[in-house]
Amino acid sequence: MSIIYVLIPIAILFVLIGLTVFFWAVRSKQFEDLDKEGFSILFDEDNTGDTEKDDKTTP
Amino acid sequence: MNTERCFHCNEPVPDGFNFSLNFDGRARSFCCAGCLAVADTIISSNLADYYRFRTEPAGKASAMPDSLRAELANFDAPDVLANVSHQQGELTEIELSVSGISCAACAWLIEKQLRKSSAVHQVNVNSATARCHLVWNSAQTPLSNLLNSLANIGYQASPFVADKEEQLFKTELSRFLKRLAVSGIMSMQVMMLAIALYFGDYSGIEASHQGYLRWISLFLTLPVVLYAALPFVSSAWRGIKARQLNMDVPVSLAIYYTFFASAYATAFNTGEVYFESVCMFTFLLQLGKFFEYRARARAREATGNLLKIMPVSATLLVNGQPQIVSARRLKQGDVIILRPGETIAADGEVSSGQSSADESMLTGEYRPVAKGIGDKVLAGSVNHDGLLEIKVTTPLQASRLGQIIKLQQRTLSQKPAVLQKTDTLARYFVERLLLIAAATFVLWYFWLDADRAFWVTLSVLVATCPCALSLAAPTAVTCALASLNRRGVLIKNSAVLDVLPQLSYLVFDKTGTLTEGRFSVSSVEILADDYSQAEALDLIANLEAYSEHPIARAFNSYRTSTLPLAQTQIHIGAGISAICNGQHIKVGSAAFCAVTQQHNAMVYLSVNDRNIAAIQLQDGVRPEVPGLLQMLRQQGYRLMMLTGDSSAQADELQRQLQFDAMVKGCSPEQKVTEINRLVAAGQKVLMLGDGINDNPGFHAAHVSVTLQSGSDLSKNQADVVLLQPSIGLLAELLSGSSRAQRIIKQNLRWSVGYNLLIIPLAVAGFVSPYIAVLGMSFSSLLVVSNSLRLLKK
Repeated sequence: MSIIYVLIPIAILFVLIGLTVFFWAVRSKQFEDLDKEGFSILFDEDNTGDTEKDDKTTP
Repeated sequence: MNTERCFHCNEPVPDGFNFSLNFDGRARSFCCAGCLAVADTIISSNLADYYRFRTEPAGKASAMPDSLRAELANFDAPDVLANVSHQQGELTEIELSVSGISCAACAWLIEKQLRKSSAVHQVNVNSATARCHLVWNSAQTPLSNLLNSLANIGYQASPFVADKEEQLFKTELSRFLKRLAVSGIMSMQVMMLAIALYFGDYSGIEASHQGYLRWISLFLTLPVVLYAALPFVSSAWRGIKARQLNMDVPVSLAIYYTFFASAYATAFNTGEVYFESVCMFTFLLQLGKFFEYRARARAREATGNLLKIMPVSATLLVNGQPQIVSARRLKQGDVIILRPGETIAADGEVSSGQSSADESMLTGEYRPVAKGIGDKVLAGSVNHDGLLEIKVTTPLQASRLGQIIKLQQRTLSQKPAVLQKTDTLARYFVERLLLIAAATFVLWYFWLDADRAFWVTLSVLVATCPCALSLAAPTAVTCALASLNRRGVLIKNSAVLDVLPQLSYLVFDKTGTLTEGRFSVSSVEILADDYSQAEALDLIANLEAYSEHPIARAFNSYRTSTLPLAQTQIHIGAGISAICNGQHIKVGSAAFCAVTQQHNAMVYLSVNDRNIAAIQLQDGVRPEVPGLLQMLRQQGYRLMMLTGDSSAQADELQRQLQFDAMVKGCSPEQKVTEINRLVAAGQKVLMLGDGINDNPGFHAAHVSVTLQSGSDLSKNQADVVLLQPSIGLLAELLSGSSRAQRIIKQNLRWSVGYNLLIIPLAVAGFVSPYIAVLGMSFSSLLVVSNSLRLLKK
């Protein structure tokens, strides 16, 4: 059973990664409009240049 | 009847209209030139995906009048722009409120349209709140260009200044989300470990493994007690500082006492650990608070568009030259010019010109008020049809509109204090619990068994931990809010659930609340033998189809045929004329039709200058009102109508609906006085209204309810918003709240009863901490599942 001394810390590491990602998602306002993001996959993104520009200016 | 519907807005296409466009290989018809133009712009600019993926039809696109387009240019004046935006280097950041967003596809469409401009650096549309966040280079493209490009695809956008409170709400909401995530995710981890520990206790576990699992649990619980549970501690601390023990005091005590006892047990390898209870408890309480907060935040965001009422800019006359300035800069004695359709930016007197003004924002009355030289005009009202020159008598901040907003803020602090039942219960409990725990410790330490003193005291505290007690009300309230929300009742202030079952007096506003808030035909007088009533109305409806005036809409449903009209002309403020089968037809005011004024009639029809019909218009009663009032009366409520209207219509309505009391011609102050009188007489008062003139009354009443169609300001201020255009939801609200009240009482009875039973046993040392925690979890579970019953049905 000494394997738990390795496995549990690894599990905790994953939990921390998950939490960090969640915090990042909240900070980048992804939870403000839950409808829109679900739709975004349907639409063609024909001018990719714009999205790149967006990423740069996002604080 | 024609069943063909407009491709863009899904409204029926009127007979004889022939607007169509080819899209995806089929001809699509449109209801008006506006929708056609919008669809054409959307499809030709490669945005047709919008039509393929949208889930809701768009709003009817009315062609934007040139005067409004010109008004957009007002926002380009640096003075005005600086007021509504932030400058970031060479980029300008602005928040726009967009009307016409019906689904997520709209958000995509708007973002696409704006990104086409090279000046736009960042754009983010929130379809839930109908807001658009825009960062662009204002030197490269003026704001009016961008707003115009949105108008071309059918959305009207205007700058929006979020108030400070809303900003706070936003940051607070994301903080809530993070805390929820921390306590939720950690609960899962700790509970997993707790199961291992439980099994270990039964089947045996190596001491080293047990210690390890306990240390890990301790480590995982740390973020919960140090981060997620902080709001409880700060609230408890505020309570203690104000010498008022609130519910958060026992909650934080329970969290920290349990945590430290478990930490002690971990460190010294004795006793029991309860980390999973700490996490779960924090998570459940946070969840309840989060739901309530989100409902309030959503209501605020969706309705808080105050800028539509508060005018931003004005056209100031400086040495005879018009100049656009920020509305806040206007001083007494300034002369401003108002074009048709503009919002008046300050209280003042008409110094030249003639027009009518829509003061419905302030008075609740939809009828336009005629304004001539020397007449007073109010800030926030809309100039209808003529050019006015106005001498400012009171600047915006001190204007009637400004005063009403101030009056609200003042009455806000005077709201009758709602007795928080659980809080008083908690105060009572916490004091005694602490006393009992202290007495137990002293008793065991000095007289009975000094070794067991610590653990007996712990089980007293754990067993009597008011978890169930503190979950009793919040969980029931959360479930009640959710189930009412599903039915179309949005409760912004959950404290009203306490008061609702005690209500005795219901106060109604008239216009827009009991009535539809729009005109409908009430009586038709035919003055010539050769026309039937249906023929006359059909003729009027054919002419009025060309007009967007509120009066014109009253005739929509009377249109039965399509007549060949020629030379149709709209005479602003007077009526419409046209030639039909060689006859000269006029529809409009008595003066316009050159006929004598009939009693109370508002619209006249003349053919070849011969008076055919005189029509009275009325703001009709909502169909559900009589039934609702009947039911409320049976349930023993007393009903009252307070209206700003002083006309005979108020008396007519009173005769129809038989209120217990009715006061007409009320100013906002009078409404407050009337409600205060009821409150002083010991009545619990609910106020239902929709206009800004009702808002001060909202704060005087115990509970305020407004309609989705109400003004933005009132939706912002009211405790409850009815999301469907039916005041029948009031019955849902009342029954839902009394159900919630019943559940809360059951929960309280159970948790108090349990605590009273377990205390003597725990003090006597019969309850091991293990059993104490089982009892605590069981009673909490019982309370939560009892509350969940509210979600059914």
